[in-house]
Amino acid sequence: MMDSKLTPATSGFVLAAAITFLFNTALAIVKDSSPPLTAFMASLSGHQWTTHGLADLVVFAGLGVVFTYLRVGEKIATNRLIGVLIGTVAVAGLGLAAWYVLF
Amino acid sequence: MGRDILLLAHASFGAIGCLAALWVFVEALSARPENAARIRIAAFVAAASMAGAWICGGYWYVHFYPAEKVLILKGPWPFAHNTFMETKEHLFFITGILAFLLPLATRENLYANSGARKLVLSIAGMIAITGLAVEGAGAVIDHGVKVALLRGR
Repeated sequence: MMDSKLTPATSGFVLAAAITFLFNTALAIVKDSSPPLTAFMASLSGHQWTTHGLADLVVFAGLGVVFTYLRVGEKIATNRLIGVLIGTVAVAGLGLAAWYVLF
Repeated sequence: MGRDILLLAHASFGAIGCLAALWVFVEALSARPENAARIRIAAFVAAASMAGAWICGGYWYVHFYPAEKVLILKGPWPFAHNTFMETKEHLFFITGILAFLLPLATRENLYANSGARKLVLSIAGMIAITGLAVEGAGAVIDHGVKVALLRGR
């Protein structure tokens, strides 16, 4: 019989990626609504976009390591984890598009 | 000249990343021990290419795009920046992180693990879809500059 369980590292980083996608869209919207935050982010690296990208990478890598260590992803069924990943990509991607089309 | 090469490298790395992700997708459909190494190599190529696209595009966006942005916003296609560039510059982060996730997912034994195979197919498919959307947005932005120069005044 075929296995369908993922290693703690894979499941942990998949979960971290899903959270990072939502964080990415939320930060884009908050940043656009708050000039002081944009200015603060620009002051950190020279450009707000650079800081945004670095923040995404830190969230992804940081949560991935924590979730791997705590074996959080293992507690979620693989099919559910895949559904969460696809769902967050759809929500985050379409959310970005909707934000910039409507506002 | 250097800035043009940088921009073309950004788009080329992105296209190579999408093709490598498609390569992973096709190989993973019939995953077996014989193609496991090829899948991992293709996943690494996808991640490395997207990293290249991120660095080249990021440098170009920060240092050279502001002048083009002014042109676009004064031209007949301001939405090329307001909608397409704004969406692209943030959507790309999703594509990039998916590409960094792919080599990790392909470390699983895809030929013996149906869940891992579905995961790799999903990640590779989403890299290709979001990557092509980003490439398409790049074409619209480029055209926004062109129409601003040709018909802007």
